[in-house]
Amino acid sequence: MKIGAYFKDNLYKLFVFVFCYIINLLIFLAFKVNKAVILSSSFLYLVCFLLVLLIPYFKKKNFYKDLLFNIEALDRSYLVLETLTKPEFYEGKLLYQALYEINKSMNENVRKLEHHLQDFKEYIEMWIHEVKIPLSTLVLMSNNHKEQFDKKTKLQLKRLEDYVDQVLYYARSENAEKDYLIKETNLSKVIKNVGLKNMDEILENKIDYIVGKVDYNVLTDSKWLEFILGQIINNSIKYKRDIKNSYIKISVREEQEMTTLIIEDNGIGIKELDLLQVFDKSFTGENGRHTNQSTGMGLFIAKNMCEKLGHKIDIESKENEYTRVFITFAKNKYYDVLK
Amino acid sequence: MDKIMIIEDDEAICTELNKLLENNNYEPIILTDFKNALEEILQIVPDLILLDINIPFLNGELLLQNLRKTSNIPVIMVTSNNSKTDEALSISYGADDYITKPYNPNILLLRIGAVLKRTKSNYNTNLNDLTYKELKFNIARGTIKKDDFEITLTKNEIIIFTYLLNHQNKIVTRDELMTTLWDNAEYVNENALTVNISRLRNKLKEVGYEDVINTRKGLGYILS
Repeated sequence: MKIGAYFKDNLYKLFVFVFCYIINLLIFLAFKVNKAVILSSSFLYLVCFLLVLLIPYFKKKNFYKDLLFNIEALDRSYLVLETLTKPEFYEGKLLYQALYEINKSMNENVRKLEHHLQDFKEYIEMWIHEVKIPLSTLVLMSNNHKEQFDKKTKLQLKRLEDYVDQVLYYARSENAEKDYLIKETNLSKVIKNVGLKNMDEILENKIDYIVGKVDYNVLTDSKWLEFILGQIINNSIKYKRDIKNSYIKISVREEQEMTTLIIEDNGIGIKELDLLQVFDKSFTGENGRHTNQSTGMGLFIAKNMCEKLGHKIDIESKENEYTRVFITFAKNKYYDVLK
Repeated sequence: MDKIMIIEDDEAICTELNKLLENNNYEPIILTDFKNALEEILQIVPDLILLDINIPFLNGELLLQNLRKTSNIPVIMVTSNNSKTDEALSISYGADDYITKPYNPNILLLRIGAVLKRTKSNYNTNLNDLTYKELKFNIARGTIKKDDFEITLTKNEIIIFTYLLNHQNKIVTRDELMTTLWDNAEYVNENALTVNISRLRNKLKEVGYEDVINTRKGLGYILS
């Protein structure tokens, strides 16, 4: 609360006082009152005026100062009411009450939305589990009745599966509650599972799956890492170049403080301009426009999940040459001590 | 033939699982009476149980807990809910493996095979030596031997020959061989598989078994 602005706001009081004072003065003069009386009552006037003006200022000043300061200082300014003591003056009480009511109604609103969102997420998860049953049946059928289902059907089923998984992990990675369990995981097992899952597509596209020395343990959630790796490998398959020796190379770089998983392909690569945005939600870029199979969600979810797990994910690429994705796992010294 | 009990409430999946297992030399049994599941299991005594976690009138985890009180029958948990807690719980209740739907049939078969092998190796200690006609196949050393003539196989050839031998006189698809190889972290491509098979044929020929691996066009291979 600035004093200048406050005075300006109370200028009318000055006018009223001056007006009353002048009339009073005129009355005193008309009745030829003693000069000493005029002086002393003028002084009294001045004191009264200042008191009337300043007492409310100091009374309100602290409350408003706290209010404004705390709003600035809090990262959730809607919690400001909790930080204030209830003011003594009437105006402040009204404001306090109003803020309280507004807060309450907003909280109810937010809760309703949260509820709604939770219901929706639960429904989505349930739906995914439901849809996986006929999907499983179809996968089994395509295997049992090879004469009715050819390889193409199988690949389409795999795509369907991948999209369903994407929704599931999106719902999970956005969830506040923890759905992952970080423990020591062997990278070779994760790489094997992802390879097996995508084997048909990799072979169908005549891509070589080259795995170097990957027998390292990292701290992660194996299911989540499998999904993340799956997204990256899916991209490698989707954006392969029309050349003879397409490959996906997986290797590990072990350093003192961290372990880095490197997935490299010699696909069409990513334009430099697009490189910064590949992890953005719904970003499809130049490559996505060509294939129209791109949702722009895969890498976004992957990055989100990496952040939750505490891994770093980076990408580098040269158009028409290569794409390399790095997933960096920090080593936990504390964990080593516990072992 | 190993008896495999399917505990699963979706009829279509049951039918297909049944067929898949039959095609792969197992004897599937479908459990229909979920209310007396435990009694049925103990009466039939299957070699392995495929147990779905979410079945009406039946809590898969509870069933597993109760089963483990009296029996060591291997159990593979199957579920469409692939959340971490379920997995950790099932294993702690004594499941031998855990698979999420929709499963790749080849991988499912591999897991079943692996669990059965693991549990049976308790009785059958000599798993390392297989025989094919008069041929001795030592998996650990990777050698095939007839009379006194011995040839060493490469890792890929060992994997392929073991698989063919375990499915003797049955058509083995390239898909199955591929899955088995990849499952052993041998990420070969189609050409390499063809090359490996022809090398294996040559080596078998050297020890006196010519044309024992036949190609069935469009289907796969068969070891006669």
